[in-house]
Amino acid sequence: MGKYFTRSKWEYFFRVLHAPLDSFYEIRHRNAGSVPLAFLTVIIFSFCYTLNRVFAGFIVNLTDPRTVNGFSDLQSVLLLYILFCIGNWSITCLMEGEGRFVDILTVTGYSFLPLILTFIPAIIISNALAANEEVIYTLIMGLGIAWTALLVLSGIMTIHNYTLLKTLITLLFTFVAMLIIIFVALLFFDLFNQVYVFFYSIYTEMILRN
Amino acid sequence: MRKKLPFLLCAVPLLFSAVAAPARAALDVPYDSYIYNYRGYIEFTPAPYVPTGTISGITLGVGAFANPQGMCVSPDGYVYVADSGNNRVVKISPDFTQAEVIDTFINNGEPDSFSRPFGVTVSEKNLLYVADTENRRVVVLNKDGALVQIVQNPRSEMLPDDYAFVPLKLAVDYADRVYVIARNMFQGIMVFTEEGEFTGFFGTISVKITLWQRFWRLFSTVEQRQSLFIATEFTGVDVDPMGFVYASFIDTDGVQAAFRLNPKGEDVIKRGENGNLGGDISVQYGRPSRMVDIIERGKGVYSMLDAERGRVFTYDNEGNMLYIFGGLGSQVGTFRQPVAIEDTGSGAFLALDADRQEIMVFSETEYGRLINLAVGMRYDGDEEEAVGVWEQVLTLNENLELANIGIGKAYLTAGDNAEAMKHLKLGMNRTYYSIAFKRYRNDFLKANLGYMLTAVILLLVCRFVWNRIINRGKKKGKGNLLADG
Repeated sequence: MGKYFTRSKWEYFFRVLHAPLDSFYEIRHRNAGSVPLAFLTVIIFSFCYTLNRVFAGFIVNLTDPRTVNGFSDLQSVLLLYILFCIGNWSITCLMEGEGRFVDILTVTGYSFLPLILTFIPAIIISNALAANEEVIYTLIMGLGIAWTALLVLSGIMTIHNYTLLKTLITLLFTFVAMLIIIFVALLFFDLFNQVYVFFYSIYTEMILRN
Repeated sequence: MRKKLPFLLCAVPLLFSAVAAPARAALDVPYDSYIYNYRGYIEFTPAPYVPTGTISGITLGVGAFANPQGMCVSPDGYVYVADSGNNRVVKISPDFTQAEVIDTFINNGEPDSFSRPFGVTVSEKNLLYVADTENRRVVVLNKDGALVQIVQNPRSEMLPDDYAFVPLKLAVDYADRVYVIARNMFQGIMVFTEEGEFTGFFGTISVKITLWQRFWRLFSTVEQRQSLFIATEFTGVDVDPMGFVYASFIDTDGVQAAFRLNPKGEDVIKRGENGNLGGDISVQYGRPSRMVDIIERGKGVYSMLDAERGRVFTYDNEGNMLYIFGGLGSQVGTFRQPVAIEDTGSGAFLALDADRQEIMVFSETEYGRLINLAVGMRYDGDEEEAVGVWEQVLTLNENLELANIGIGKAYLTAGDNAEAMKHLKLGMNRTYYSIAFKRYRNDFLKANLGYMLTAVILLLVCRFVWNRIINRGKKKGKGNLLADG
């Protein structure tokens, strides 16, 4: 375990915030990244997301507390994260991307750090806001999202050694690939279900026939 | 011992029922009383009204009603029923024991009668207005049953030349203007002057066409188009003492089923926090409510009758839902085909059922009385006085958002911001919560800003001092190094 959470791994993890291009390069070519650390980031982000839905101030929080479920939030965040990585990997493989799957996982996971760093202050500040001041909260949240988007963009660009335009095109294709994966998965599940139901009905038929 | 046990088991509920007898009236209501909260969830409430009896033609000794359709209460407390199938109007005394039949009147020296009267109303001057549907006229009678006026055969360039006037329901305002809902008249409510002259339409319901319907329109034939987009008719009308007209109609979206029309004919109704004036929120049930009657009950409160599920919905002047009661069924206090509602103003609420051919009488419970009282006080501007009443309401129904908002607003005016915030948050009112919170925050800052700034200055001083000590140490070190070098 120590090899994934060494001091230098943590240093690169935080260096991503202020020197993203350099750090992502090191992650790709000098194994400076750590996949478990990336997963940890995503899990902490999902926790912050749930916290935000529960504890954001009354003025800005329109969520019905009865609908909040931290576990299903975690599930959907992790699912989307992995889906994005698989989608990106399957596209960049075909488009001469140099990044490995591990790099995609690491880079995307590390990019969630700004969201964690902005969600928590946003939750605290939102509790001291009145109406007409929501813009401060929105601004902080927007800042985090924009920062993360930039990190993902620069990360994908660096690890695959792409130009900016090519990165944008691959990202677009990545979303298409994600949709296709979802579609195929649903089709697959449906098919398996039908096969199962078929055999199950044969079984019931035989049981009831004596 | 074993044999005795069943008897004991029987005795226990008996004992309880004997003890709890006074409370039973409110518990044994044959319908659910509930309300929709801020998020659209159903919250069950104590019954605001409980059924206490029925009035039928038989109990009154005038022969059974036949398909009665309209009902109204006069300013002096008499109840008038348009007994459509018997071609008569029945006038019931305020204590519901005696009845008088009005079926003929003298018209131009000759006896005349009604034909399927559908609606009935009484003006402030105690004149009786009867929508004499099959005779295609509105008959106005005075207190003694003598003919005052007949409104018929309206002619105007707004109407087709062969227009047949079939009045269904009607209302009269303080200036004796008559508002008539006529069959197949989609342009709006027909307005007549005191002299019976048709002046125009009031409150047209605009047809809503969605983008999807627009798309289908491209492929449909003319006949299909005609059947697709039919404007809805008004179903009930009432006038408040200030001359505002309340009108109900069938809204297929279940969002807004009532208008409050100002004298210019514009809708000025308020939609409340969650913007729903359509009765049941349609995702909770299959179809939206079908409102068939509306009454104005004073102090801005109005009730609507839903024939789809036999419920009475009551809203206040701000569009907040107050309570819902009633239901379909065959027990006492449930409806089969409710057609009209009326508030006697003395705690009794009447509902006319065309299929059961009787009037159901509901009486206010403590819960209903307190809500009506508090809403009335708030309407009159006595918010501080209303707090006591709202607190009593909260002891009966702790979840009522309206009560929490009422209390919260009063605390806000009294200057107790922390309590105001607590109650306004429970009432889910962000606007007023924010006002309370701003004041609370200002007070907090005023009281504590001095300490906070002092702390900041102290920290700065500490840092300055600390730096001096460190620097001195470093200098010393450097000096030593130099000395050593």
